[in-house]
Amino acid sequence: MTEEKLNVVGQSVLRRDGLGHVTGKTIFIDDINFPDMLHLKMVRSPLPHALIKGIDFTKAEKVPGFIQALTHEDVPKNIYTILCLIGVGPDEEPVLAEDKVLYKGEQIAAIVAETEDAAMEAVSKVKIDFEELPTVYDVEEALKPGTPVLKHWGTNHFVYEGHHCRRVRFGDVDKGFDESDHIIEGRYQTSPVEHAPSETTGCVARPEPDGRITVYTNTQALFFTMDNTALILGVPFQKLHFVGGTVGGGFGGKVDVIVEPIAALAAMKTGRPVKYKFTREEEMRVSSSRGAWRIYFKDGVTKDGRILARKITTYADAGAYNRHTPYAVTKHAANIAGPYNIPNVWIDAYCVYTNRQPSSAMRGFGVTPASFALEVQMDKIAETVGMDPWAIRFINAYRNGDMKPHQKVVEDATLIEVMQAAAELVGYELPEKFKKMSSLNREEA
Amino acid sequence: MNTREYFLPQSVNEATQLLAKHGPFMLVMAGGTIAMPLINEGISFPQKVMGLRRAGLSYVTKPNGKITIGAMSTLTQMLDLKEIPILQEAAHQVGGWAIRNMGTVGGNLFAPPPAGDFAAALMALDAQLKLVSTAGARIISLTDFYTGFMTTALSPGELVTEIQVPVPTGKTAYLKYGRKHANTPAVVTVAAQIELDGEGVTNSRIALNAVGPHPIRASKAEEILSGSPLNPTTINMAASAAAEECEPFSDAIATEWYRRKMVEVYVRRTLTKITDRR
Amino acid sequence: MASKIVTFTLNGRRIEVLVKPLTTVQTLLRDQLGLTSTKAGCKQGGCGSCTVLVNGDPMMSCLLPVEDVQGQEVTTLEGITPTPGLHIIQEVFYENFAIQCGYCTPGMIMVSKALLDRNPHPGREEIIDALTGNYCRCTGYEPIIQAIEEAARRMNGNGN
Repeated sequence: MTEEKLNVVGQSVLRRDGLGHVTGKTIFIDDINFPDMLHLKMVRSPLPHALIKGIDFTKAEKVPGFIQALTHEDVPKNIYTILCLIGVGPDEEPVLAEDKVLYKGEQIAAIVAETEDAAMEAVSKVKIDFEELPTVYDVEEALKPGTPVLKHWGTNHFVYEGHHCRRVRFGDVDKGFDESDHIIEGRYQTSPVEHAPSETTGCVARPEPDGRITVYTNTQALFFTMDNTALILGVPFQKLHFVGGTVGGGFGGKVDVIVEPIAALAAMKTGRPVKYKFTREEEMRVSSSRGAWRIYFKDGVTKDGRILARKITTYADAGAYNRHTPYAVTKHAANIAGPYNIPNVWIDAYCVYTNRQPSSAMRGFGVTPASFALEVQMDKIAETVGMDPWAIRFINAYRNGDMKPHQKVVEDATLIEVMQAAAELVGYELPEKFKKMSSLNREEA
Repeated sequence: MNTREYFLPQSVNEATQLLAKHGPFMLVMAGGTIAMPLINEGISFPQKVMGLRRAGLSYVTKPNGKITIGAMSTLTQMLDLKEIPILQEAAHQVGGWAIRNMGTVGGNLFAPPPAGDFAAALMALDAQLKLVSTAGARIISLTDFYTGFMTTALSPGELVTEIQVPVPTGKTAYLKYGRKHANTPAVVTVAAQIELDGEGVTNSRIALNAVGPHPIRASKAEEILSGSPLNPTTINMAASAAAEECEPFSDAIATEWYRRKMVEVYVRRTLTKITDRR
Repeated sequence: MASKIVTFTLNGRRIEVLVKPLTTVQTLLRDQLGLTSTKAGCKQGGCGSCTVLVNGDPMMSCLLPVEDVQGQEVTTLEGITPTPGLHIIQEVFYENFAIQCGYCTPGMIMVSKALLDRNPHPGREEIIDALTGNYCRCTGYEPIIQAIEEAARRMNGNGN
């Protein structure tokens, strides 16, 4: 194909949805209303860890406009885990809490009412009898004996194919440390981050005359959400029709299946359209955040800057439930050793449960905190060895044909070329030997 | 929101009569920037609400040596107060443009910390409040207005109708420190007015916000400065006294520890700014 | 719980509406009148997605009771969109990719309109200052600032 024939490549193409956006005519979830639509608001736990001894709806039922309250008893398959669709188990998160809650803000009962105001008022009048339980908020504390155990399988960590964590074993790190001139250690901690999309998470579920339920949703994961909803409701997939695609900001914050199953259930129960949309406070306090990670590095490095061994123990704070964190930990474990050629690597990556708001996906998915810790550690190595931070990275950069610690042959390395381009952009004069390097081959020693 | 009645009185007289009639169960709302979020979020469910936008309290007059601000004047209106630059600065650092068009000077007096920075600036200027009820009017100093977290010296049936600010005779400075450059809650806000006779301080007023249950005066810091020269040594002493005497809290913006550290830094910077202005 | 009739000018037309006590302009526009360009990003005055102009001044419609705008002039994005076509500000937002998810866009355009009406040649700092109450989580703001600069150039001192 000749270059003249390209219509899009190299051109600035106006957005297909742009005219809707600048005129305000794009239809977002909150713009979808039906004349007979009901509103769903959630009764949430005010406590981070407690037993539920009883729920009293008496006063809530008296609020004008109250239609129905839903509890876990109404949910056909109440306990689920989102990643069951890719074989991750066991199920561990309730759609609506049963006998206990594991985080502040956990969903306990849904109130369906004629108006949003009535639903909010009714929620404020539900009385719940709790028995408070001791809490755990720190990932390392959570793994110590004597700490409150949050999961029915008896640990506060996810179990990876029978193992306590996601493990990577490559070469012999102890041998590598013995051969090194410097041992360089580092502890890194990141914080949870809320995606804060401009449009909060929400959906409208509408019963159709043929018995199907149409769900209009701003999820980022339409089919994933539809399949999970079908499993939770115990209905065949074809009973559900999901309509989506317009997302008022997601950034990974709208991939968890939270509002759709319960809204669809409420629509089935009442026979009327039901809207369930987070308030801003719910979006901040209850929707999944980026997880907080604690990462320990121990590197063995020669005096001329070669990394011979890298030992990493890393903990993801999943919060109270899985959501997407078990998967994020796997991605993290595959990336935490970095785009470097290191002969001996040992990684233990834990997915840990605490009494915090669940964490989940966010841009980078477990890799972002890894990159942060890793590259600060690389600078620390450069400082300790007394070398230029650029040099440390060129010396250790991986090339095509190298074996990565998780037993994957590198086929598409570009680190060297990216660093060469970056140096040029910032006006940094690289030594000739680094300018000549290539990811495609390894020069003769 | 299930509010049963919304009153929109057309005069102060009508407002005080409504207040006398419906008493403490009626929520009094100024610009709505504090009350409406709680109502919208389903945290507060007031049955009766009185809005003051039409009560004739949106005015600024300038009788001799004083600026008189109607309680419903917006923060945007304060941007025009050329006589008192620190009020312009303080107003400009509240919210964004739309919020300043809605939020009022009177309402800001009731904004729980870390909001309420404008009130701190007023406190440094020794502002007086006019409180009106059906029984009459009285004047009270803003410093005496606060009695605790979200409690004031207002008697049942009283409204704040006016804020009276003497045109400052001393040198003034205002610094607000937040996590962002603009539209941000305060880690700490410092407003100061210092009167100097030659090198010595004859009178000082240092107000702090976001480090107590309401805007507060740093009275120990003020005492240190009183009668002393204003130099790096006395400024440092005053700054550490302010850090010691304030009562910071932890929230999503900052921890108690950090706020206290920043009180010292920002009191020092504010006072230094005053010496730079000599 | 007596509803009240409120009369005001909406997008140049005098209208009469019946509202429950304390109904906000946002709720009226979106739920009663079906004018959904005004978004509801937070209902706390924190995001700016619901910005409307009241007598030309930007205000957060989520915090504003309908009764408070009795007799006033309210303008929404629907009110500045010509038929057919686009307002210059809409044009530049579209052409300069000052949009991504589109949720903050109506509020951004309304603030831009109010700014350019007052100040046909705003400096970069003045643009930033005008936008501080409006959050955009996608674009990083730079294309929005550039779009407003471009709008000022195209209008060449002529607002509207």
